[in-house]
Amino acid sequence: MSDTNTIVHDVIVVGAGLAGTWAAKIAAEQGVRDVAVLSKIHPLRSHSGAAQGGIAAALGNVRPVPDSGPRGPLEQLPDGATPVDNWELHMFDTIKGSDWLGDQDAIEIMVKEAIDIVYEYEHMGCVFSRTRDGRIAQRRFGGHSAPRANFAADWTGHVLLHTIHEQALRHGVKFYSEWYCMDLIVEDNICRGVVAMEIQTGKIYTMRARAVMFGTGGYGRAYKITSNAYANTGDGVAIAYQAGVPLMDMEFVQFHPTGLYKHGILMSEACRGEGGYLLNANNERFMERYAPDKMELAPRDLVSRSEQTEIDQGRGVEADGQGIYLDLRHLGREKILKRLPQVRELAIDFVGVDPIDALVPIQPTAHYSMGGIPTDADGQVIYDAEGTPVTGFFAAGECACVSVHGANRLGTNSLLEASVFGRRAGYAIARFLESGASLQSVSGDPAEKQRQRVQRLMAGNGKSSESVEKISQELKTTMTNQAGIFRDGERLIQASGTIHRLRERFANARVMDRSSCFNTDVLSALETEHLLSFSELIVAGALERKESRGAHFRTDYPKRDDENWLKHTLAYQTPDGPRLAYKAVNIDWEKYPPQERKY
Amino acid sequence: MTNNGKMQSVTLRVLRYNPEVDQKQHFQEFQVEYTADTTILDALHQIKAEQDGSLTFRRSCRHAICGSCAMNVNGKNILVCKTPLRTQLDRKNRVTIRPLPFLPVIKDLVVDRSAFWEEYQRVRPWLIAPPEAPEKEFRMTPEEVEALHNAETCIMCGACYSSCQVVALNKKYIGPHALLKAFMRVMDPRDTEPGERLDEVSGSDGVFRCHTIFNCIDACPKGLNPTEAIETLRKLVQKRQAFVAARQERQKTLLPVESSTAPAAAD
Repeated sequence: MSDTNTIVHDVIVVGAGLAGTWAAKIAAEQGVRDVAVLSKIHPLRSHSGAAQGGIAAALGNVRPVPDSGPRGPLEQLPDGATPVDNWELHMFDTIKGSDWLGDQDAIEIMVKEAIDIVYEYEHMGCVFSRTRDGRIAQRRFGGHSAPRANFAADWTGHVLLHTIHEQALRHGVKFYSEWYCMDLIVEDNICRGVVAMEIQTGKIYTMRARAVMFGTGGYGRAYKITSNAYANTGDGVAIAYQAGVPLMDMEFVQFHPTGLYKHGILMSEACRGEGGYLLNANNERFMERYAPDKMELAPRDLVSRSEQTEIDQGRGVEADGQGIYLDLRHLGREKILKRLPQVRELAIDFVGVDPIDALVPIQPTAHYSMGGIPTDADGQVIYDAEGTPVTGFFAAGECACVSVHGANRLGTNSLLEASVFGRRAGYAIARFLESGASLQSVSGDPAEKQRQRVQRLMAGNGKSSESVEKISQELKTTMTNQAGIFRDGERLIQASGTIHRLRERFANARVMDRSSCFNTDVLSALETEHLLSFSELIVAGALERKESRGAHFRTDYPKRDDENWLKHTLAYQTPDGPRLAYKAVNIDWEKYPPQERKY
Repeated sequence: MTNNGKMQSVTLRVLRYNPEVDQKQHFQEFQVEYTADTTILDALHQIKAEQDGSLTFRRSCRHAICGSCAMNVNGKNILVCKTPLRTQLDRKNRVTIRPLPFLPVIKDLVVDRSAFWEEYQRVRPWLIAPPEAPEKEFRMTPEEVEALHNAETCIMCGACYSSCQVVALNKKYIGPHALLKAFMRVMDPRDTEPGERLDEVSGSDGVFRCHTIFNCIDACPKGLNPTEAIETLRKLVQKRQAFVAARQERQKTLLPVESSTAPAAAD
């Protein structure tokens, strides 16, 4: 049964950001005794902690000062006054933001549970910023029609992550810190465990469990300019795909409008939520031309396209004309220090500019992965358009595709999604185990295949082989130039060819580090293999989708086409490359039928 | 900014150790090209990609929020992701990089932080809230929130811990990071066990061990002040009884007036 190469737990969660940690904490709280979380970096290093601006929930704690206009100041809701916000408004904003590709049943669940989960965070110790009367403070965010971004200055993700991690420790969750998941074991559509490497020793184990959950994060690292951490290499989505699970809506990649120029590091949308402007080389607030109503607080896909258009038409800033200016100066010193302290430091550290008295150069940056592993609203991974479950396999957060974000996510809905669906997955896993789910047998030695994968990377003398880093850089350049903000058939076909050639070259790639102890050279190679694997699907989905919707914009098909394309893409692995299928979008045709999307 | 875009060359001296081949740590020198924008982390990546793939270090977010990449540069603990290389050149145009001091080295610049995390867990970093949760939020004033900022933004990078002379001499010392966390919980008006927490940090491994050398303040890349937090805890230990009584009093007003009169539903 068990040997020194096999580890057994009731539940194995992969990824220790908000989604995975919520699931683990809830499962443990519900009485599952043996819950383990694997993370390739220490849990508190997870990228959820980098989120800045807020978590959405229609608490109705604040409102705009009456008659002060759409960008005027906010005040705490006076006693007895009717709140300006409710979950229905949040729901409509999210549907519209998704360009009607979000599943409306899942969105309804998310926006309703939003209110409760923000209070739960508060009860668990999260230190939110406050209104004068002690309620959770709220600010505006792009695409939201009311101030509903609940925040802790501009380090909201950081405090949420620390809070949920602390509570998971309190409930006895076991963390495997710096363990790298390499494979998902699925036989007969039943998930039986994972294969993982202990990074410090290089030892590879088969890890069996009654249920496996992925909260492995997004795939923004496929792009050259990105806000994502080095860790965000989409391992989970690639591993699931290799194991036969389809991936949904992979072509939808969000570009955030305000990445620091050349670095891509995020300057929170809170900069614009608090009233910041975007300026081109002529000192114009160019958003007037693209979103006269919402201006800088239009959703991210629209603002990023507007910036890129300004840049492409020669109105960009900085030496190479590839930048745009973010202007915060009029917010004043006090507000910047109080509300945006982290972004101020980032601007000073990375571009040498203090936003209190200078313009900050920014540019669009690959930020969020709308696509991922298809699940139902309980985190149960599904195999097809009919919702057939992959038994024992759950997923939530950015690696999953419920889908609540559809073709474009609204800011502050990601911390929300990871939390709500992570929590729901935790409850679903506890029910699944309680219903009698048992440990399933595993054929052969799945770890052996992964050991060979590592041995191949270390074979030969390494000198004359392909460089992993070069392949990785070429991929990122290709994805940025040919599958980025603006796409067309010709460039996507080129990208597809390039990725195919890079995959062939990767077969000859070797690492320089041959040691078994903490071999980050091997990890980078495995991560690059994952990037190559799912990037093919981003391009394939984008090439096939002959319309423009949300973050996916085809210059050769610039209109949304509901007649043919109001559907999710499902990509399946076959020996001949990806096979695409489609899945209907859940729409309430009475209440929320598709409309023209204008801001 | 000067020299933006102009390439220059510098020597990086890196203290290396691979347990599979090395008896002890040794310096290796690398030449790297840099511009005004290049961070120390960029330079390490450049070496790893182009010269020696076995060079080993931790990193993730690259913007000073994940806490992975604390290292010792020219004798000072810093986050290499947010530090421009050009600011760290010594008189011989070199930069010297070592792993965090006083911690066991796993490989090259990767240290074993186990003791650091054990201390973090020892102070029970989680909030212990009143058993009856209100329907909405506990009411905290902006000032009470402000008072926690000194601890709230700690990223657990270990820069303070590994610069602390007391940690260096006494492995049982709780350490500045965990005491800062304890401070955060003690000061939080929602926490119900400030007295027990003060007892826990007032033992022989706790706040009275701190020699107020201030290394932790110098080391903190987030500009936090663990020493001040430790000082506060010391004072509160002396006033434990009054502080606990005040907390109990404060917790009666954590709920807004309208819902504190009616019993809140248990969550």
